Amino acid sequence: MTTLRIAAVQASYVLMDRDATIGKVTALTAAAAARGAQLIVFPEVFVPGTPIWIDTQPIWKGDEDWFALLADNAVVIPGRASEHLAEIAAEHRVWLVIGVQEREPHGSTIYNTVLYFSPLGELAGRHRKLVPTGSERTVWGMGDGSTLRVIDTGVARIGGLICWENYMPLARFHLYAQGVQVWLAPTLASGDGWIATMRHIARENRMFVVGVNPVLHADQVPAGFPGRDRLIPAGYLDDNGPWLEEGNTVVVAPSGTVLAGPVRQREETLIADLSLRDVTVARRHLDPAGHYNRPDIFRLQVNTSPRPAVIESGTIAAISQLNGGSDEYHASDEHARA
Amino acid sequence: MSPVTVAAVQAAPEFLDRDATIGKVVALAEKAASRGARLVAFPEAFVPGYPDWVWRTRPWDATATVLYARLLEQAVVADSPACDTLAKTARRLGIWLSVGATERDQTGSTLYNALLHFAPDGTLAGRHRKLMPSGGERLVWGAGDGSGLTTIEAGFGRLGGLICWENYMPLARSALYAQGIDIYLAPTWDNSEVWIPTLRHIAKEGRTYVVGVTACIRATDLPEDLPGRADHYGGAEDWLSRGNSAIIAPGGDIIAGPLTGEEGIVCAEIDTDVARAARQQFDPVGHYSRSDVLRLTVDATPRAAVTFRRDDAEVPARPSAGSAALSREAALTPGQPASLPAEQR
Repeated sequence: MTTLRIAAVQASYVLMDRDATIGKVTALTAAAAARGAQLIVFPEVFVPGTPIWIDTQPIWKGDEDWFALLADNAVVIPGRASEHLAEIAAEHRVWLVIGVQEREPHGSTIYNTVLYFSPLGELAGRHRKLVPTGSERTVWGMGDGSTLRVIDTGVARIGGLICWENYMPLARFHLYAQGVQVWLAPTLASGDGWIATMRHIARENRMFVVGVNPVLHADQVPAGFPGRDRLIPAGYLDDNGPWLEEGNTVVVAPSGTVLAGPVRQREETLIADLSLRDVTVARRHLDPAGHYNRPDIFRLQVNTSPRPAVIESGTIAAISQLNGGSDEYHASDEHARA
Repeated sequence: MSPVTVAAVQAAPEFLDRDATIGKVVALAEKAASRGARLVAFPEAFVPGYPDWVWRTRPWDATATVLYARLLEQAVVADSPACDTLAKTARRLGIWLSVGATERDQTGSTLYNALLHFAPDGTLAGRHRKLMPSGGERLVWGAGDGSGLTTIEAGFGRLGGLICWENYMPLARSALYAQGIDIYLAPTWDNSEVWIPTLRHIAKEGRTYVVGVTACIRATDLPEDLPGRADHYGGAEDWLSRGNSAIIAPGGDIIAGPLTGEEGIVCAEIDTDVARAARQQFDPVGHYSRSDVLRLTVDATPRAAVTFRRDDAEVPARPSAGSAALSREAALTPGQPASLPAEQR
């Protein structure tokens, strides 16, 4: 069977600077591709970086400039930034998976999103984090069930969840049932507890797991960053150390054995060759959505429909007409009820 | 709630000897209780010992067959003197006593890998039969139904658990999280190093205490006359299970163990309030669930293979025309085969 060479890129972003960070993506992707990587994975919200202020300051306290900067530097799809990322993937003929802060073209809500670009430069997948964690809820909205898809690259079935979504058993199961073989977990989570989770998940679905973190030292926050002193107060550094992002990038085998990493406190791209045969063989032991499931007892229903804020009745009527007009939307009924 | 001590007993059973193993459970439960334990947990299939031969013999060869017969004879039956001894021990010591047992129905010949929870009032408060045995285990154990996916209020937290690789069933874990489990028992035979990360993950995912408990037994602990002993087992270096018992706090930190290579009682103090407060950060069935997207239904109905009905008690003393249907159903109950229509005989 086939082997997939992956690259897990632990790197520093240029805080709240989308274009400069994409410049780093360009260089790091080229370097990983030169080492033969076919799938290159970047951290959670790498473009344009973590909204650090949500943990270093009380919520909504003097964060106006920072949020404005975030909104300006978010990735809009379609847009120049996402096109640029697609071009990078196409230029190197690689799968490029990257965490971005995303918003709708006219939206002011930011989503924590992972984008999957194919070697042909297509946006093949997009996942918006279902539930932000703690203070993240003050900057990010929630994705719907329409972005929980495993993607077949032709070599492997890839998919994954973002940061603490990895603690959502039902979301994981939904992806397991789609036959995911290589699990991508862009994250900000530090420490050994996260590594335990990466190892558990690998063993739970007998698949490869790639956990990818950013790394950022306080000194890397640009000198001219607005409100820099308030952004990283001395007291915060005293309590938490100088690494705003310590890094924790790791690659785990289907047995739960660590293949590479964890890397901390430095930029580094981990390269690993993943033999898909190992997944197949390991699943004779355990296959949580197959022979180790009990579908007579457990029934998981997943609503995968997109949930836009508004469905315009005119649109529905138009779609209905295209479908033959038999079940047209009775707007007049609602008026009658009103 | 005030903190309490919980104990995971890592020990060797008296292999394939139910009553002697229960004697050991009683003695070790006393020892744990004397250290202040309010909950004492024993390993997977501890009574009368995990059927390790399923990994060493050919599935249906003569040795495996004779060992199965021995296991069947030595299995625990609910409402039996063996079960009663465990219940009385829990009452006498005033503890929650959770014991892994190979268990069967009174008249059954299929064995189940069960976790029995005895309450301080001397009742069998919970019984969970493993939903899915692993690999070779499927040759000795049947699969439980969803009725055992329960948790019990112990007074110092909600208690429940899953057995061995059931802990890799995300939906089964979700069923326990949804019941507010605070003290999650994970009896296992798994000796691998990655088992500990799994316990830590579950503690963090469910923000629950996790008590992992594993047997510790080597070939020299097996009886001399065990069928197939010479062919399949070696000496003191041949471990069936080295043990792997550990207790984990709700954030995923190890607070006791792991203990390997020796018998022992792994104790830790736990405080349910800590587990519940930890759910501020994460609650897989509350603020960190998405019930609009992901909705799990669990069938918790007991599922007997055969259900018997007897409606004859309802047949009126003076049969009327309307009771004909009832009479016909009564005729189909066991003991009256002669009245079955000819084509059904």
